[in-house]
Amino acid sequence: MKHGLKWETLLRSKLFWAVVAELLILLVGFIIRPDFLNIQIRTLEDGTRVLFGTPIDILNRSSEITIIAMGMTLVLALGGTDISVGALVAVSGAIALKFLRWDVLVYTTPGDYTVMPFAYALLVPLAVCTLMGLFNGTLVARLKIQPIIATLILMVGGRGIAQIVTNGKQFTTQYTPFKFIGNGSILGIPLPIIITLVVVVAMLVFVRRTSYGMFVEAVGINPNASRVSGLRSGVIIMIAYIITGLLSGISGLIYSSRIISNDSNNAGLGYEMDAILAVVLGGTSMTGGKFTLMGTVVGSIIIRTITTLVFYFGIVSEAIMAFKALIIAGVIVLQSEPVRRAIARRRERRQMNLGGELHA
Amino acid sequence: MNGVILDMKGIDMAFPGVKALDGVDFSLRAGEVHALLGENGAGKSTLIKCLTGVHRMDKGTILLDGKKIQPSSPQDAQHLGISTVYQEINLCPNLTVAENIFIGRQPMKGGQIDWKTINRRSQELMRLMGVNIDVTLPLTTFSIAIQQMASIARAVDINARVLILDEPTSSLDEHEVARLFEVMRDLKAKGMGIVFITHFLNQVFEIADRITVLRNGRLVGEYMADKINKLELVTYMIGKDINIIYDLKKAPQEEGAQVVLEASNLGISGKVEDISLHVREGELVGFAGLLGSGRTETAEMLFGVLKPQKGSITMNGEKLSASSPLDSIRRKMAFCPEDRKRDGIVADLSIRENIALACQALRGFMHPMKPQEQQELADRFIKLLSIQTPNAEKKVGELSGGNQQKVILARWMATQPDLLILDEPTRGIDVGAKAEIQRLMLEMCKDGMGIIFISSELDEIIRCANRIIVMRDLEKAGELDGEDCQQADILAIIANEEKEEAMT
Repeated sequence: MKHGLKWETLLRSKLFWAVVAELLILLVGFIIRPDFLNIQIRTLEDGTRVLFGTPIDILNRSSEITIIAMGMTLVLALGGTDISVGALVAVSGAIALKFLRWDVLVYTTPGDYTVMPFAYALLVPLAVCTLMGLFNGTLVARLKIQPIIATLILMVGGRGIAQIVTNGKQFTTQYTPFKFIGNGSILGIPLPIIITLVVVVAMLVFVRRTSYGMFVEAVGINPNASRVSGLRSGVIIMIAYIITGLLSGISGLIYSSRIISNDSNNAGLGYEMDAILAVVLGGTSMTGGKFTLMGTVVGSIIIRTITTLVFYFGIVSEAIMAFKALIIAGVIVLQSEPVRRAIARRRERRQMNLGGELHA
Repeated sequence: MNGVILDMKGIDMAFPGVKALDGVDFSLRAGEVHALLGENGAGKSTLIKCLTGVHRMDKGTILLDGKKIQPSSPQDAQHLGISTVYQEINLCPNLTVAENIFIGRQPMKGGQIDWKTINRRSQELMRLMGVNIDVTLPLTTFSIAIQQMASIARAVDINARVLILDEPTSSLDEHEVARLFEVMRDLKAKGMGIVFITHFLNQVFEIADRITVLRNGRLVGEYMADKINKLELVTYMIGKDINIIYDLKKAPQEEGAQVVLEASNLGISGKVEDISLHVREGELVGFAGLLGSGRTETAEMLFGVLKPQKGSITMNGEKLSASSPLDSIRRKMAFCPEDRKRDGIVADLSIRENIALACQALRGFMHPMKPQEQQELADRFIKLLSIQTPNAEKKVGELSGGNQQKVILARWMATQPDLLILDEPTRGIDVGAKAEIQRLMLEMCKDGMGIIFISSELDEIIRCANRIIVMRDLEKAGELDGEDCQQADILAIIANEEKEEAMT
């Protein structure tokens, strides 16, 4: 009986189905190209050994979205949304590159250039993005502006700010420590994966080891009751937007380091939708309430796996978006309430029949 | 068995881990009002939901006019002639009354919605209910009672054979109830079968022909309303002797006990004009008065949910200034709000989390209670208040009303307040749970807690309160000693508006 109940909760959980979907997609990849799941260790020119293979690539490339989606999970659980994250990625990259500007750099060692402490290039973008998160949070929590409108301001304005910071120019850098963020690896593991891991663990600890997660859920489910119970929903909402701002900044550093450049027009383009999608695929409802950070991680990986798979299929690039949508539609159907219930019910019935036979 | 229109036989229904219905039979005849009674969690709602296709039953048959049916959704049930009016109004507040009555089945004329017919028919239907209003105004323009009438009008116009009224009277005043009963008698005479669910036993005896009692998901029996008395009925419902209620004794009031809460000249224009009151340690102050007399607003001002425009509140000798619930909790105040669903429970969180919520809010989220601590807290109160649940991890939304109320009570008891404000804590919960909550209040008073107890049921107030404050027209109209107070004394204050004014 107890065993049956556990299975049932599992079958009804969206996270479970997200994992199933991911495994199915991986299986399809494996059938088409048996080397899809291969992981090798390769030695690079400079002698470092790096893990190599599609699964590593998927994890690596999903980093930007996973990191942002951690914050987005909280925002959605509170019944809000943040569509400015993509623009904040651009802002972060622009400021970082501004501090690493080619034309004012001072020669230090061969191949390396710097003019200011490197920390500025990391901390200033993060500080600015955090402040932008605070701005979003203030509009939503204090001025009670609808989240989609409130964050629309920076979605539009953010890219403008990024343009202003760099005078509309695109810089590149060869500064090695900065390149290392998006392209380096430690113990063979690409650095973005490690950063993502640190962010995910930090968020899990913050959310579940303090009561912040419970407060977010309470406010997301019933703001009135939460207020009467003494929760300060304004502060709770504010924190979620601030975190999302900061995480968008981190994501922006990884992105700009990968392309060793800033790109105010294209950096983080469409990230808001991918991040929201990752959260929803992971099993957190857009209407607020209970959330799962691990689900979001899986959701983000699903999105990246699909993109990778589409390349493997050799589908013409024009059709990629449509194809991606098709697979996502499939995943969402698999997770939908009626389908999950139907599957759980069928199982229950089968088990009941079995039980009946045993008794007879 | 003449004239049976609806026959439910051997209905079984289980939720994960709980058997909600166990072989329940229910039959409804044409032209009768059939009351369905039982404590919260007895299975009334589940039975109705099986009938209307919200839940799918595991076993059993439903015969409508002798034909086997299995409704798959409320719409499906409606097509079969089974209409339901729920306690919470399920209409769209922003649409007009007429639109609400005809939504989803608008008559068409030449490919367009026939507004003329809709408005005319709606006006007729509402007049049939004894309500003469402009049906082209938005639903929110009207009182809850009229909104309730509109949902009944909608149900009636679908030409239902079976009408289910799920606690339709809980938000209506006496006059409105009387009008509803007229409509019910009228429908009954037209041969409709009406299932009536309520917690008000007096109403049952006034309107019902037949009574079915459920307890713990099982059928207790079916009775003719004129062949059973109230005491028997309650005994069937709770399965034990009713005398537990009458055994309650008021907490003795100590002479010269310290004043816990003092409020003077509180007011918000249009909500509460001007009110002063105090509560002593171990004292239970009852708040009587009609709905809308300013009772709830006063409570909300005291707790900081509403910000008073004037006046001051002193708690344990310290002045409250912040007007925020958190500040009030810090000063050892607690508040069980009137609307349990809206302001009380966090439905999707577990019992454990709901109980820990206010304590945790007090500590701030950076100082979390250990999971083990939460668990112990929850287990302690589940036992203390005998909350019926398999474990502390069950979602509060899945509990019955009485158990939800106990969870909220536990949330506040856990903060160890000096003053507890209870706004209608016994509304919509069954007799057994009512008695338990009253017993708890009195025990807490004995331990020195001051309590403000707001209730519409005068006998409840008289039974428990040391002192009674009567509200009328947004003002304190009088104060009575709880010791030798009669219901008539309170009613006199509520009613004798002119006399009082003449005297002052």
